[in-house]
Amino acid sequence: MPSTKYYGWGLTCIGGAGVLLTAVMGYTYAPLVQSPPFRSPEAYRILFWHVPFAWTSFICFCLLFIGAISWFLKRKEWGWNLFCTGSDLGLLFGLGVVISGPIWGSAEWGVPWDWGDLRLNTFALLTAVALFIVLSRKAQPDGIETRDTLSTVGLFGFALVPITAVATTVYQKRHPSVIIAESSETGLDDKMLEVLILGVISFWILMAGLSILTYISYKMEDELQRLLDKIDEEVVH
Amino acid sequence: MEDQTLIQISGLEIHRGSRLIISDLDFELMGGEVVALVGPNGCGKTTLLESSAGMHTISSGSIYWKYDLHGKKLVRDSEGRRHSLPPMGLTLQKNGMSGEETVQERIETVLKVSGCEFDNNKISELLDFWGLKHRSSDRVSQLSGGLARRLSVLSGLAPALLSKKPRAVLLDEPSEGLDESAKSLLINWLRALILRGHGIIIATHDSDLILSADRTLTFSDDRKIIFSSQSQPESDFVIPNSTNNIPIRKTSSLFNWAYRMEKRNPIDTINRLIPAILALFLSHTLVSEEDISALGFDFLSALILLPPFISVIIPPALIGRYAEENCGRWWSAVIGPQFRLSSSIIGSSILLPIPLIYLSWFILSDNISIANNSVVYWLWLPCLVMFLVAIAASSLHLLVSDLRRSGASIVSLLLLVLVWPFIELVDSLEMIIIDGMSMGISLDEPIFMMFLAGLISLLVWMVSVYLPEA
Repeated sequence: MPSTKYYGWGLTCIGGAGVLLTAVMGYTYAPLVQSPPFRSPEAYRILFWHVPFAWTSFICFCLLFIGAISWFLKRKEWGWNLFCTGSDLGLLFGLGVVISGPIWGSAEWGVPWDWGDLRLNTFALLTAVALFIVLSRKAQPDGIETRDTLSTVGLFGFALVPITAVATTVYQKRHPSVIIAESSETGLDDKMLEVLILGVISFWILMAGLSILTYISYKMEDELQRLLDKIDEEVVH
Repeated sequence: MEDQTLIQISGLEIHRGSRLIISDLDFELMGGEVVALVGPNGCGKTTLLESSAGMHTISSGSIYWKYDLHGKKLVRDSEGRRHSLPPMGLTLQKNGMSGEETVQERIETVLKVSGCEFDNNKISELLDFWGLKHRSSDRVSQLSGGLARRLSVLSGLAPALLSKKPRAVLLDEPSEGLDESAKSLLINWLRALILRGHGIIIATHDSDLILSADRTLTFSDDRKIIFSSQSQPESDFVIPNSTNNIPIRKTSSLFNWAYRMEKRNPIDTINRLIPAILALFLSHTLVSEEDISALGFDFLSALILLPPFISVIIPPALIGRYAEENCGRWWSAVIGPQFRLSSSIIGSSILLPIPLIYLSWFILSDNISIANNSVVYWLWLPCLVMFLVAIAASSLHLLVSDLRRSGASIVSLLLLVLVWPFIELVDSLEMIIIDGMSMGISLDEPIFMMFLAGLISLLVWMVSVYLPEA
């Protein structure tokens, strides 16, 4: 029976191929939207990556949150590993959202960023928190205090979501509403929907593969640390 | 008969990362004994000593201390419950003092936070014993390493020395850096203090100190702790008399300490002022050269609020002072769970935004025709909200400073959240400039936006202050 590592690699490769295929189909298979209402019809194609990036990153932020809670309340090693995995992948996919979003925004709205938009800002903040956690984790010596502080920051990031919601709901919203849920009403073409679904499924498979690989690498780091500690003790005594 | 137990530790387990440092330890410190913690480097002596003072998160177990009024009370447990310590003496491995404070101030601070009555004569007497009297007005940074260590040790012993009630004293490597005469003085004081009912824990490698202890806890290779006792001759060494106990002033002492440090060396004010003034000058240049009516009043509002906003998000100098010689850890142990809350307020720039907002207004609005003259009367409102933004920023800086290598973490990523209160403030000021102040409470009214900005800042503050203590 193949080990978990091979499942990880397999899913990553399949997901990666699917992501590339989504891009190709987005350019070749999906039809062009009409102008108006779209100001920049060609630019819309970025949504085939932008939306799956957003959905996938939200799942990663949920992993980060569950990991932070598990570490904070139970001090479970798997909770910490889940927290690390969630922050790494949350950063990766979150950056995908906050990079692809402004590119689309520049073309469609004429401005790359809308400080008044709830989803934009919440994602930017969560991505910033994930970036902080990833960089700090690399820079800090591992220890219970470090883990406590960083998981606090993780929880802090999530606690800020409703705060930013309060802050930004008073502003106008430029961001389009949820696309898939309203597909029939908004007239999203069947071909576009197919490509989008392919994109979402591919990103999720990619995320699953990367999660397994990242989780395994953190478990291996733990094991390595345990061995180093053992050698330290032998040296001291 | 009165219970002599000063500290009671039950089932203590502490991890460092995934490594188990202390496992299932039961230990009591009784009044009238010196206990030495002995073992090789990295075995957990300091961890145990600091954990006794509630300074570390513990994986399991509980730590109780004896309080004057309440008897035995929980200080910290693995469930996250934490209470401030009763008056005690604490000398950390690093001295736990800021280089900015004077020798006399250090002793005064220690005695205030432990509720001991004192006057200048008493402090002189203490300093004289330790050969520091002639240095009483000098800053700690001017002392040699040995003299600074003497002061640190004296700071640990003084709360017990002047107290009529039994106190626990925790000393981490107290003899490190002391010469033979100071070490001998330390041993004499330890033996004399326990005759007054105080209890002392020392983490040490020093064989003389180990020999002077009544009990020894030896950390063995297989992470077991071996207890042993030895009888000691009764000391006839004369130490200064105790004084009356007075009300304990912990938070006010921290405030006074921070104020004195800033007054002596105003790093915080200057660090905040320079970038703010620079931003103001640049804004002035921009406003002078551009047609502001073309740029819009939202742009003008942003320029007016930018200098005070910059001033409040600068890292507080208090954090730098805390980092010096583990000074912040000493204060954290002494103040307890309220330390973060107090520090977030003390460390924030409360007053600076007020002159900066008014200055920005007068400078930047000078050449612009503004129909509404009442703006200046309402500028106090953004000042008030900016105060909340300031403590929120300060609490975020404090949160990051908890990390062992806090300088290696990018706090600005967390400060991004404060952009929203800033934007709310900009919008509300723009409305006041255009339409004047209105007291309506709908979503588009300036008063509501300021309230929202304040609320966001308040929530950020509460989350970053209370969550780490949960």
